[in-house]
Order: sequence, then structure tokens, then C-alpha cells
Amino acid sequence: MEAGEELLPLFDWELKPGRPHQFDWKSSCETWSIAFSPDGSWFAWSQGHCIVKLIPWPLEEQFIPKGFEAKNRSSKNETKGQGSPKEKMLDCGQIVWGVAFSPWPSPPSKKLWAHNHPQVPDVSCLVLATGLNNGQIKIWEVQTGLLLLNLSGHQDVMRDLSFTPSGSLILVSTSRDKTLRIWYLNKHSKQIQVLLGHLQWVYCCSISPDCSMLCSVAEEKSVFLWSMRSYTLIRKLEGHQSSVVSCDSSPNSALLVTASYDTNVIMWDPYTSERLRSLHHTQVDPAMDDSNVHISSLRSLCFSPEGLYLATVADDRLLRIWALELKTPIAFAPVTNGLCCCTFFPHGGVIATGIRDGHVQFWTAPRVLSSLKHLCRKALQSFLTTYQVLALPIPKKMKETVFLEPFGMRY
Amino acid sequence: IEGRKKTYGDREGPDAMYVKLISSVGHKVIVKREYAVTSITIKAMLSDPGQFAENEINEVGFREISSQVLSKVLRIYFTYKVHYTNSPTEILRFATAPQIAPELLMTVNFLDC
Repeated sequence: MEAGEELLPLFDWELKPGRPHQFDWKSSCETWSIAFSPDGSWFAWSQGHCIVKLIPWPLEEQFIPKGFEAKNRSSKNETKGQGSPKEKMLDCGQIVWGVAFSPWPSPPSKKLWAHNHPQVPDVSCLVLATGLNNGQIKIWEVQTGLLLLNLSGHQDVMRDLSFTPSGSLILVSTSRDKTLRIWYLNKHSKQIQVLLGHLQWVYCCSISPDCSMLCSVAEEKSVFLWSMRSYTLIRKLEGHQSSVVSCDSSPNSALLVTASYDTNVIMWDPYTSERLRSLHHTQVDPAMDDSNVHISSLRSLCFSPEGLYLATVADDRLLRIWALELKTPIAFAPVTNGLCCCTFFPHGGVIATGIRDGHVQFWTAPRVLSSLKHLCRKALQSFLTTYQVLALPIPKKMKETVFLEPFGMRY
Repeated sequence: IEGRKKTYGDREGPDAMYVKLISSVGHKVIVKREYAVTSITIKAMLSDPGQFAENEINEVGFREISSQVLSKVLRIYFTYKVHYTNSPTEILRFATAPQIAPELLMTVNFLDC
């Protein structure tokens, strides 16, 4: 790792909501959810009061964070010929708990997926799914801001949603009605499966990038792993001591991380159910232990796009950045108000955090070039399961570095 | 000897700009020394006086590394690393073909890069 100072997240920019909606519901101003589109050209911000703002990225010329060349943007304008895309305001009519972009343009991995699910999508544009307070899901076309579909099915607050990365417009949603639902946006009937099993509110879901597994976490200690092929429960992961609120998969599908109110983040190997690591979120400075500041229950976490870092947000109002092989965070950033969510820009370099007062803050994230060792490990992990690696004709020690002890090797 | 000096430096002596990496079947890949020392092992071989004969002639032979790995991967990775380290531009993804990954893993473990 390079010198510590270079890795501190630097506060870059803040988005503040405009004047509150004329129906000023004081309790609904939180930014529960934020997201970047997979190609990095849009940012969706659920800014409270039922409004979602769609903002073209990068924000404005002078606010381009370090590392992005202005020429990227101007060449996009030339090809469009219609001027730069404009901001959109989507009025959802209900508190928005979750936002998710569809994968667009269709990724190359679609060819693999099409083998099992040969549908051709008829929704052939970038869409945003918004999950609402009454359980409804609204699907919007990003380019125009038009409402395309209304999906009903959930009986209670829709908490989180996620598109499969394969490009076939399959949406997974989780809800306080204790179910997960799978929706095929191409098919006429739309909702195709209900996953039952959780006994409490389901908070969050994450689909592995190779589209094989779905992880869901709820207000209970077990983490559920479902198959995305048969939509059945594969296994439960035990280890947390309290409600599990967030989960994410590493970009090569080899790791699963979950965050809980028990102040821990656990890193799992989803194929073997092994617990690889536990990250403890302790008080930064015990002398500052006010009775007003909550113990550091976790709220959300997110992998960096190259899989080397993890960002977590907790109730002690700190954004922490972790490097996978270390046990303590490499950087902290204090935030003025309670944190709700965080996400990385898909090309790395920027972290966005959503806050309880409706603001979004952007931070410069560490960017390190992967060593060839790491790239090679990632390629192997994405290509083979744990058991296939064990069967490779390479020395045992080398196998260990790929999976079982992925953090033991120095980079 | 002036006639032997080329515009971009040469491969002779300890300050040579270029080094030659030789694969298992004798294919030679010439890379800038500055790029080749991305590999800690190669750096040690080239800079440790007396320990490695390669130091004198700036050639390193790898009897275990195939030509494909050497020219397609190592040279490209060295260029990628040097180009993007401490560079403000957006880093592009470096994709490795999964099929050569096991052999590559052994190689990069040896080369430490």
C-alpha cells in the first residue's frame, strides 16, 4: 500500500435537495438509496420527500473529481448531437427506499446467461427501478424520465432491489413482507417467483456478478443464499449476533460480505460457507463516547469495483474504507449527520454516501493499481469454483493463495 | 563508440535503457528497463552486482516462462503499470484470459509483480 495520507477519502462535493416538496413531511427527508448506472453516466438520488433525481455524471465541468478527463464528456456530446443530457426529477408519490439501474449497455456476459434464459429484452434502454413505501415498484426510462411500468405484489415496504448483471432484465426485490420476489420485465406476467423463508423483514439483497447466487439478509441472524437458477434456498450462513442489514458480492463473485447491527462485517466464501474474516467497527476515540452517539451499528457496505476495497457506513457517522487484507480501516471520514447508504462509482475513484438529511456527499476513494498477482487471482476466481481450484495441477501453497487464504499473500 | 549509439539508448552496460527477456523456447522480448523492474525478481537480477550474471549483459532467460505469457502478458502488464502509476487519468481494466491464469499465477509468484 502507498503512504497512508494519500488514501484518506477527501470530501469532494455535496448535493443538497432543493426546497422541500410542498407537502412537507418532516419525517421523510432521508436519502435511503443512491446508485450509479453501470456505465457511470447517470446518478440516481432518492432525495427524500418521494422524489428521485436522475443526474448525468460527471456533475459539472468544475466539479469533476480528480482523475476524470474532461474530454470524456465532450466526446459524448458530439456523438449525441442533442446537447448534454439533462437532470430529471421523478415524483414517485411514496417514500422511495430502493433504487437500481438496469445493466445497460448489455454486458458481454449476456451470452453466457442467454444459454439458460434465451429471452430477448423488449425494454431496450437504461431503466431505473424504484422501490416504494407501499410495496410497489416503479420502472422509469432514464433518458426521458417517463414511467414505464408499475409492479405490484409486495404487501409491505419494498426495501431493496437489484437487477441481475446479465442484462436479461430480471429484477429481485426484498420487502418487509418477509419475501423476495423475482420479476422478469420482459415477460407479460412480470412476477415469476416469490421466495419464502425469512421470518422477519428482509433488508437487502445482492446478486453475485456471475448470476449464480442471490444473497438476502433480514432482521434475523442468518444470511440466506439462494440459487439464481432454481430460485431455491441453497444454505444459510450463521455467524452474526444481530440483524443483518446489508450485503454485497465481490466483483469476481468469490466473496460475500455482510454487515450487521452487531457492529461487525463478516467476509464469507459463499461456496463453502466459510467465514474468512470479521471486521470490527469499534469507537474511533473512546474519549468522545457521548451518550448521544450510537454504538457503531452498521448501515450499509459496498465493494469497490476492482474488488480491493470495502466501504462501510455506520451509526457513529463514519465512512470507513477497508483494504481486504487488513483488519483495521485504512481511512475514516466523519459525516455531519446519520448515514444511510454508500456506493462506489463503477470505474472507481469516487464514493457517494447518502445521509439522513437528504444530502449526498462524494468522496475521493483510494485507487490502486492491482498487482498482476491480484489480477490473476481474480481471473481464476471468476472462472473456477473453490473445488475446481483445488483440482488444478499447481502446488498446494499456490491454491491456498487463490481461495482459502486470499489475504495472506503480500501484494 | 559513437556509431553504435542509437537514438533510444542501447542494451549494453548497467545504465542500458533496454533489457532482453528470453522465454523458454528462446523468443526474445525487449522491454525498457524501467518497465521490466516492475517485477521485483527481475529488478534484483539486474541490479545486484555479482550475484547474477544477467547484470552484465542485461539479458534474463526464463526457462519456465512460455512465450505467450512473456510477450502477451508481462510486457503488456509492465507497460500498464508504469503508465497508470501516479497518473491522474482514469485507469482502464486490465483483462487476463482465464485459461492462462494458472500458469500465469506460478509465473507472477516467481517474478513478484
